[in-house]
Amino acid sequence: MGSLIGRSLSLLCLSACIAGCSNPALKNLTSTILAQTGYVNESQVDGVFNAGEGLVKSQTALTTEQEYYLGRAVSAKLLATFPPSSQSSLLSYVNKVGGAVAGVSDVPETFGGYHFVIVESSQINAMSAPGGYVFVSSGFLKLLPDEDSLAAVLAHEVAHVVKRHGVNAISNGALFSALGEFTKASASIAVSNTGSSLPLSEITDVFGDSVSGITDKLLTSGFDRSQEYEADLYAANLLVKAGYNPSALVKVLEILKQHTSSDESGWYATHPHPEDRIDELEDEMKFNTALYDTPAARKTRFASVVR
Amino acid sequence: MHQIRYYYLFLLGFMLLVARSDAYAENMWVQVRESVIRAKPVFFSAAVASVKYGDAVSRESEDAGWVKVSFRGKGGFLPSSTVTPAKIILSGRSSGKIMADASDVVLAGKGFSKEVEESYKRTGSGVRYDLVDRIEKQCRSNPTEVKAFMVQGGLNG
Repeated sequence: MGSLIGRSLSLLCLSACIAGCSNPALKNLTSTILAQTGYVNESQVDGVFNAGEGLVKSQTALTTEQEYYLGRAVSAKLLATFPPSSQSSLLSYVNKVGGAVAGVSDVPETFGGYHFVIVESSQINAMSAPGGYVFVSSGFLKLLPDEDSLAAVLAHEVAHVVKRHGVNAISNGALFSALGEFTKASASIAVSNTGSSLPLSEITDVFGDSVSGITDKLLTSGFDRSQEYEADLYAANLLVKAGYNPSALVKVLEILKQHTSSDESGWYATHPHPEDRIDELEDEMKFNTALYDTPAARKTRFASVVR
Repeated sequence: MHQIRYYYLFLLGFMLLVARSDAYAENMWVQVRESVIRAKPVFFSAAVASVKYGDAVSRESEDAGWVKVSFRGKGGFLPSSTVTPAKIILSGRSSGKIMADASDVVLAGKGFSKEVEESYKRTGSGVRYDLVDRIEKQCRSNPTEVKAFMVQGGLNG
């Protein structure tokens, strides 16, 4: 009998650590059986699953530091095409607006910090790279009527960073394989400087492919529609938390809608149609603009720095 | 007799596994380059202590995206996203010996790293790291400035 219980627990624990944590039905079944043995309670069962989940995640997720280096590389590629503005008063202002919305998000700090950048381009565009690099084109900035609208654009990009949409775009086999190697390397201090048994050239190839994958998403194919809607909704909530008027996001989408016919590049090439996004947003959220009165100080600073 | 031994042996292993999961609740490691422990679970709250990448903090509780921690005799809050249960070992800090079960250990600077970045630069892929370095210096804000900015603009700072 003891052997039977032991073997059952052994198999169930193994499944908890390896597979069960990603399968809710299997997790529930395993939990029930384990709890019925009387040897463990429900919270202990949860503890086992959490340990298993942590194990699986640690083997398939990029660390914040690795994400930072990916973000730097993606940014290095983007900036080669879209040079950054060097107007210090404008950059200081934009980074405070960005800092206000990022600061109330679930990821208020990244490994190397958030960087909100205005790039010189007549395209109407905004995008973000892993690790907290956010880019808004000067062409888009010119269309924004007030600080709340700027905050809405930045909040949407912060949402992509928080939800890790860029990193998820490169969840391919080669990356997982490399991540597995990095994890294995952690089991021994006697590893090469790359932290892997893979040669540097091979890791560099995986790195380059990952950078290209993200850059392609940002510039050509765009994120999934569901990710864009998710970013819109998250952004609206960030605006509310920071004290900005969330209907500014709808205002921005209206502006984009007006310019759709004249510009099919940039934002328009990589985002769902603004009208669809407005519908999706208004289905999820009611906007009471009467609650928001923009103070004169906010209007003045936007006008003096951006206009 | 063998069956009973097998059973107790496994039970011991299982208890260790459960204990290990509980241990996650006690120690966490800072996974951002630098941060501050705050007096309240609000990003713009006053700083209590500074922490750096790889510092170990003691986790007391967690709620709504904030972890209550203690560090070198000071207590406060860190955003959940800035800490990890995976032990972070910085180069040069290791004793040279890592536990056999090291799946939850992160060697800082390994994997996609500065070295890989240097190698990637040499591939000549049309990248402008000089501009990235520039924006990292020019395009930033600190929470104290942002809080003052929010208050001035009638926001929830």
